[in-house]
Amino acid sequence: MAQYAIETRGLTKTFGSVVANSGIDLNVKEGEILALLGENGSGKTTLMNMLSGIYKPDSGSILVNGEEVSINSPEDAKKLGIGMVHQHFKLVDTFSAADNIWMGKEKAGLTLKKKRYGEIAEIAEKFGFELDPKKKVCHMAVSEKQTLEIVKVLYYGAKIIILDEPTAVLTVQEIRRLFNVLRRMKEEGHAIIIITHKLNEVMEISDRVTILRKGEYITTVDTAGTSEKELTEWMVGRKIDLNIRRPLVEKTRPLLEVRDLVIENDEGSVAVDGVSFYIRGGEILGVAGIAGCGQKELCEAIAGLRPLKSGQMVHKGDNIAGLPPKAILEKGIAMSFIPEDRLGIGLAPSMSITDNMLLKKYRDARGPFVDRKEGRRDAQSVIADLSVVTPSTETPVRRLSGGNVQKVLVGREIKAGPNVIVTAYPVRGLDINSSYAIYDILNVQKEKGVGILFVGEDLDVMMALCDKILVLCHGRVMGVVHAHKTTKEELGLMMTGSLDLTEKYEGKPAGIAKDSLIDEQEGKEA
Amino acid sequence: MGFHIVKRENCPWWQRLILYVAAVLIALGLGAVVLLFMGVDPIEYYYQMFTMGTVGNRIAYKTFMNYLKEFVPLALTATALSLAFKMRFWNIGGEGQFIMGSIAAAFVVFRFGPVLPMWLTLVLMCLAAMLVAGLYGSIAGVLKVKFGTNETLLTLMLNYVALYVLNFIGETKADWNFFLQEQSARPVFKNFSSIAAFPQFALGGKFQLNLCVILTFAVGALVFIYLKYTKQGYEVSVVGDSLGSARYAGMKTGWVILRTVFLSAALIGLAAAFKVGTAGVLSTSITDDVGWTGITVAWLAQLYTPMIFLVSALICVLQHGSMVAAATFSQVDSSFANMLQGAILFLVLAADFYTRFRLARVKKGEKKNG
Repeated sequence: MAQYAIETRGLTKTFGSVVANSGIDLNVKEGEILALLGENGSGKTTLMNMLSGIYKPDSGSILVNGEEVSINSPEDAKKLGIGMVHQHFKLVDTFSAADNIWMGKEKAGLTLKKKRYGEIAEIAEKFGFELDPKKKVCHMAVSEKQTLEIVKVLYYGAKIIILDEPTAVLTVQEIRRLFNVLRRMKEEGHAIIIITHKLNEVMEISDRVTILRKGEYITTVDTAGTSEKELTEWMVGRKIDLNIRRPLVEKTRPLLEVRDLVIENDEGSVAVDGVSFYIRGGEILGVAGIAGCGQKELCEAIAGLRPLKSGQMVHKGDNIAGLPPKAILEKGIAMSFIPEDRLGIGLAPSMSITDNMLLKKYRDARGPFVDRKEGRRDAQSVIADLSVVTPSTETPVRRLSGGNVQKVLVGREIKAGPNVIVTAYPVRGLDINSSYAIYDILNVQKEKGVGILFVGEDLDVMMALCDKILVLCHGRVMGVVHAHKTTKEELGLMMTGSLDLTEKYEGKPAGIAKDSLIDEQEGKEA
Repeated sequence: MGFHIVKRENCPWWQRLILYVAAVLIALGLGAVVLLFMGVDPIEYYYQMFTMGTVGNRIAYKTFMNYLKEFVPLALTATALSLAFKMRFWNIGGEGQFIMGSIAAAFVVFRFGPVLPMWLTLVLMCLAAMLVAGLYGSIAGVLKVKFGTNETLLTLMLNYVALYVLNFIGETKADWNFFLQEQSARPVFKNFSSIAAFPQFALGGKFQLNLCVILTFAVGALVFIYLKYTKQGYEVSVVGDSLGSARYAGMKTGWVILRTVFLSAALIGLAAAFKVGTAGVLSTSITDDVGWTGITVAWLAQLYTPMIFLVSALICVLQHGSMVAAATFSQVDSSFANMLQGAILFLVLAADFYTRFRLARVKKGEKKNG
């Protein structure tokens, strides 16, 4: 029997009546990368949390280097050489990189020693990381923070490294760099478990794949002997078509036009800098960009939640800049923004699905009372249409799993029958099945002549789903490209600001429609 | 082998009930230990306390009427506070709002009572108390909406401002001060029970039901409906749950906050008017600490209006009962009730933990071969 770096046998964990993990057998050898694949709620995170000592298994055993161990706390996991890189970074913003590593170190002593910078620089170099130990976390980009997290677990001497969706926040180029690092770690003899939803990444980086479905262990296969299609079938339990539809719809005149928009963020610095674009009915305009490049501010401004510093916003020829959220809502512009914590904007987490369905239309009922009957009807139909997993329509939204929360939000927005949908990260963290359900919904809306602004993360998806893609870099437009003509490399370069295509077509600046209603309006005024 | 904490998915209502009842029983048990140390038979003491000495008492109806006089302000104040708490507006200024309401009510009685018919005086009393208390509470609301100040600190501080205003009125002999007795050389609050008192209805025997009790239950029912079924109540919940989502839904959040805070404080003012209108005299301890106890009650009842009435009733039994029992057991001070109340609160919160989590034994599963 081969020696495994880490192995689980029949690991089971239940939360109340919900079985999160049942009888999971998983193993990784030294110098091997194992991908853990499964839909939302299939128990991946629970499993990893058991390995890293956050949860205790109800039954089953964990073996490290062939010996049975009991992991009672993250401290135990650290001692056993298990390091976890969480999806949400656990760093102190005001500390330097080195101090963030240092504070978790045992026997660090009472004083901060100068040599810590050197020590940490050394280990970073060994694995080929670019990391400035003196840089403060608050000045770091997302990818740097992630690098820091990885260096941290390596510094603590982890031999078994678990990465929870590490690629979700990275650009194509950054992902490539991360994978190079992972390969180097593999050569050094580390055992790596990587959680990801993206099948192409699984195919690229892993040696073997373990698949979970609804908390159950399904199988483990060699990556070399499988295909994306097969993996999906294992994961979903049935055959599924992986192609995203891009129906061709006759486009109308611009529904929503935005010209030279300048928006400030909460700190008062410019987050969106002179952005222009337009959306026609029957078209999906993608917005690509590294996280935090003004997407949030843009969405909030369109919904009327954030004041414009300057610029124009025109809906069907009417100026909507400076209108209150309610007025914008009434014009049929629906905005849904899925923040990292999924609950920030758009939902009232402690309230029931029914109540959340009513959020934007509770006023429409006649008289002083809220029409819960209608809310319940809406809730039932969204639950049925999007197969939301919930005990009832009266369950508080925060009790649902992430994917189901998103379905409730997106479902409600579409139910309202808007003519412009602004949706940011609608499939963030969703599994394949639910993601495709949402792409389908968006396509159905598109075919109805709705204009859709799709702020996304996954370039592959955007290239397949969107008609055009607008690329943002630090709040500036780097260009608008046709989704079927562009490449991932081109988009990646634009996202990092190395390629500016705003002047690609002479005489037609990016983001301004030929038949713009803004110009017509101005013409009238003149 | 060991225990670890596991989250509960759902706690059935009967299990919850058992836990809460157990918490109260344990608190009473702790109280019994203290009583035993003081050489008092706990069973007899508790018997006196929970029956409030009514058994075999010829004037039991009077005890019950006095009991209701304590119950009305507490239940109403706790209900009013629950409105603000539902919006996560931490109004701990119930004391101050109550005091301002009672001053306003007394003002109406002294200025207009002698010339107006009694029913009109009573109505004006209630309205004035509601308006003044409402505005007083709104100070913290306006500052929060405008400048984002912390309402907890402000409402707390405003309690003391109100208290010292009342003390000032109560201790300043002057020509303008019509709140005090003219005849007395020492500053003493003037009694006005002959000018304005809430009507009572005889309900068989000597027991008389005060109009305030009926009104309190009516207001309770209205608040319950307001929070649960109306659009405004819905707005309160959304604003409390997620301010961002409320703005996103197009609610005027500043307005919702102001409206709710005013309503909450105004109802506390109403409680004050009821208190003043039954007591017939102001006093510097007019509040009976309902502004504080009301907070406890609202949270023990988890902001659920029917529960607020139930908890208020129980707390009043403790307070009133311990006073009655103090007559028999002179060595036990009536503040024993406060201790008991603290123990109950603490243990109910502990029980609350068990409604959401449970302890589970760590099992080792059977090992597989392989």
